[in-house]
Formats: sequence, structure tokens, C-alpha cells
Amino acid sequence: MSPKSAYLFLYNTVLSLAWGYVLFLTYQTTRAGGGLQEVWQAVELPLKAAQTAAVMEIVHSAVGLVRSPVAITATQVASRLFILWGVVDLVPATRSSPLVLLRLPLGGGAAAGGSGALQLSLVTLLTAWCCSEVIRYSFFAFKELGMQPYVLLWLRYTAFIVLYPLGVGSELAMVALAMPTIRANRPLSIQLPNAANFGFDYYWACWLAVLAYLPGFPQLYFYMVAQRRKVLRSGRSGSAGKLKAT
Amino acid sequence: MAVKLQIKSRSGRDILPDGLLLPSNATVEELRARFAELKPKYPPSRQRFTLPPREGARSGEALANGKRLSDYGLADGSVLYFKDLGPQIGYATVFFWEYLGPLLVYPLFYLAPRLLYPGLKAPEKSVVQNLALAYWSFHYVKRLLETAFVHKFSHATMPVFNLLKNCAYYWMFAAYVAYFVNHPLYTPPPTRRAVIALAAAMLCQFANFRCHVILANLRPAGTKGYVVPRGFLFNFITCPNYTAEILGWVCFTVATQTAAAGLFTLVGAAQMAQWAIGKHARLRKTFDGQEGREKYPRRWIMLPPFF
Repeated sequence: MSPKSAYLFLYNTVLSLAWGYVLFLTYQTTRAGGGLQEVWQAVELPLKAAQTAAVMEIVHSAVGLVRSPVAITATQVASRLFILWGVVDLVPATRSSPLVLLRLPLGGGAAAGGSGALQLSLVTLLTAWCCSEVIRYSFFAFKELGMQPYVLLWLRYTAFIVLYPLGVGSELAMVALAMPTIRANRPLSIQLPNAANFGFDYYWACWLAVLAYLPGFPQLYFYMVAQRRKVLRSGRSGSAGKLKAT
Repeated sequence: MAVKLQIKSRSGRDILPDGLLLPSNATVEELRARFAELKPKYPPSRQRFTLPPREGARSGEALANGKRLSDYGLADGSVLYFKDLGPQIGYATVFFWEYLGPLLVYPLFYLAPRLLYPGLKAPEKSVVQNLALAYWSFHYVKRLLETAFVHKFSHATMPVFNLLKNCAYYWMFAAYVAYFVNHPLYTPPPTRRAVIALAAAMLCQFANFRCHVILANLRPAGTKGYVVPRGFLFNFITCPNYTAEILGWVCFTVATQTAAAGLFTLVGAAQMAQWAIGKHARLRKTFDGQEGREKYPRRWIMLPPFF
């Protein structure tokens, strides 16, 4: 095994385990009856560490360690860091209540605390992020070993069908939950007048970021659908076949 | 004598089943013209032809105008790969629209503060703001006039999408800079400093203009190919036109003391540096001093004494 392979194997294995750990903490806290705040307390440190470590992926791509294009990798990592540090960590309101999309007229009623409602929250965000990262990082870890278990290949090109919309939906839900606070308090903003004649309004910057999400989503989704067709068709016969890293 | 070339798409499909028949001493331009006759959808500017890639390479060398088929060793039965570059648009058209935007957008912020800064009382404009407007307008009028009367584009084209991209860049940056320089809460630097800095910026503009004139007159009438630019700052720097342009914007930034102008300068400088590196490498490769060819002299690329 070359040093490069060894390093990438280690990197991907560690991150796969880290995201698995975050998923475990989320599940454990929720099962024990913990609310969103307890979940956040439990996952905060490992989540921040695992997600921020993804900055290395931009470096890997920039120095040619992996083949993925730098600009795309950087955009993806930046959008995650924006949600984690610039929205969830910055505004506690994102971890105090879910965003209810639809109340379902089921038994139990609203007093049960959302049990009859379709909602997005920190938990759906963590579920989407953790599951997709565990799959992605373990896929790459095995790749460095020259192996490609069909289960992982299938998951990598199938799970996104659910996880990707759930992830983007939850990310936008986090922004929606944070916006009233950001609008009222204007954190991270710079007001005129000042000596550099510079102004920055984080509230409007968030709107711009959200607008930037919209064209990217269908594009990446349908690209993955096309990849899925290509990969899974050829994948079954010879699982060691050539694959493009995406 | 005639040669018959096979034209394939990059996926290997035959585009002209009967091949392309040309005289063996034909030029690349004649090849393009003949192809456009057979495939009227693709005028010459949309066509890109490449030789088959060498062993291990991803794509082959592209055919350049001004050369002959024989220069590439193309003979009867040779294969060429065709790529459609998409709809094209002339450089002059793109330049016109991308420079007109800043000329119109910037004064809006100066002239209509009540509309663009709602809820803020617009005070009397400072001397620095007046001078900044004058300098900005002068700069883009200069660029438009140069596009019309100085630059030689021959028939160079670029993809239509670039029009959108370039206009977005220039128009949005103009709005971004103008928003802060004309803001009702703008803090002007000392007038004396602004006057000196803008005077220096004007000198840069003249230097830049001189470079453009030299570049426009590089090739004696009727000749083609690369020429080593000489005279004025070209004796020391490969792209002094960029040097002057960047220093001009540095002066503008100092004069207005506005971070947005500094950002515009930085982004522009990064782009120009990339172009300058490309041009420097091209000139050094063309004038390598081998086999009687001229040797490209030692010069700074863009920003002496660093680069």
C-alpha cells in the first residue's frame, strides 16, 4: 500500500467512524427521551470535529490526491460549514424546536409534541448527514483497499434518493428557524459608517446563500440518478469494474 | 493532389460519411470553410479540430488558423476529431456590453440615493465622491473607445455564454463598488490624498493606453503569427498593460478608501495574473531560441519586482 493510499484509507476510515459515532449519539439520546437540546449537547463536539475535518477534502482535491474538482468540493464543504457554524451553532433557536411542515389529523393531537406532524429538525438533519457520510467515507475507505463491496456500492448510489432531499430540506429548515433571530440581531454584520467604508449584512447574505442552493439541488440530484443507472447496471456483473469517483 | 480526411466526433462517430476532400496544400482556414459548406450549422468560428491523441494523452493537438494541413502531417485517410464549440459571439460585442454596464450602473448610485438607500438622508456629495465618479466614468469611456478604435480582434469569437458571465461580473462589481462609494454614510479620506492617488491613477491609464496602442500595431499590416512586443514598458514586463491597469485600481482604492474597490482590484488582478502567466509561457515557447527562432528575453511577467 502506497503512503497516499494508506493516508486516504486512514482519513476515510476515521471520518466514517466519527460520523457513525454522531449517528449513534443522536439515536441514543432520542431513544432515552432527550429533546433537540440534549441531542445537540451530545453531538456538538464530535459533529463539529467531523464536519470541519472535511476541509481536508478541499486540500486533497487541490493537491491532486483525489480526482474530484476543487471548485465543486469547496462549494459542497462550504455549504455544510455555513449550515453548521453559521446557522445551527450561531442561532440556538435552530435546536429548540422543529420546523413543522404539516400537521396530520392523527390521534394524539398537537399536545403530544409533534407526533402527528410532518417536520424537519436537527434530528432529521443529523440523520441525513450522518447516514450519507458513513456510506460515502466507508465506500472510499474500501476503495483504497482495492475492494468494492456491492452493498456499499448499492447504498452509495441508492440512499441519496432519500437522504439528499432530506438533507437539503433539513438544512433549509435550519435557515428558516434561524432567520427571525438573524433578522432581529444581525449577527456577524458590519455597519456603516467605518474607516474602510465597508458594510456587510449577514441577513441578506443568508438569503443569497439560500438562493444559491436552489439551482444546485436538481442538477446534482439528476446527475446522481444518471450515475446510478450507469454504475448499478454494470456493477452487478463485475463489482471490481472501473468507477469514477464522484 | 487531393487528400481525403475522415472527420469523427469525439465519441468516434463519422460526421462526414464521405470524408472531406481538400487539396493537399490546403490551409486550416480552407478546411473550416469547406466543413461549413457541408455542415452549414457549424460556421468556422464554432469548429474545433484536433489530431488523434497521442499514446497516453487525453486529447490531441488542436489545429490553428494560419497553418497548413501538411504542417500537421495530415495525409490521405488521416483522422481529425471535430468538436462543436457552441454558438459564438464576437469579442468586440462582448466588450461593448460588459463595459457599458459599469458606465451606466455606477452613476445610478450617485444620482438616485433616495431610491437606492431608502430611509437614509443623502448629504451633499464630498469632493472625493465627485472625483471618483469622474474617474470611473473616464475609465469605462476609455475602454469603450479602445474597443471601437484601438483593439484589433480580427475575427476572434467566444462562446455566447461568456457574454452573460462577463456582464454579470462587471455589472455586479460596478454596483457593489458604487454602493459603498456613494453611500450616504460614506467616510471620505483626506481630499489631498484622494487627488494625488487619482492623479497617479490617471498616469496608469495613459500607460495602459500606450501599451494597448503598441499591442494593436504589433504585426505589420498583412502579416500573421506571434511577435515579441517591444518598446515602452514591454522591454521589462510581458504584460505591462495589466500592471498599469492593476496599479490604477490600487490608486482608486487608496483614493476612495473603500474595501469593495480593493476586492474588485484583487479579483481582477488574480484573473489578469492567470492570463499573464499563460501569455508569458506562450511567448517563451514560441520564441525558444532554437533552430534560428528568436529567443524571448528575460522579463517580469506582470508585477515587478515580485512576479
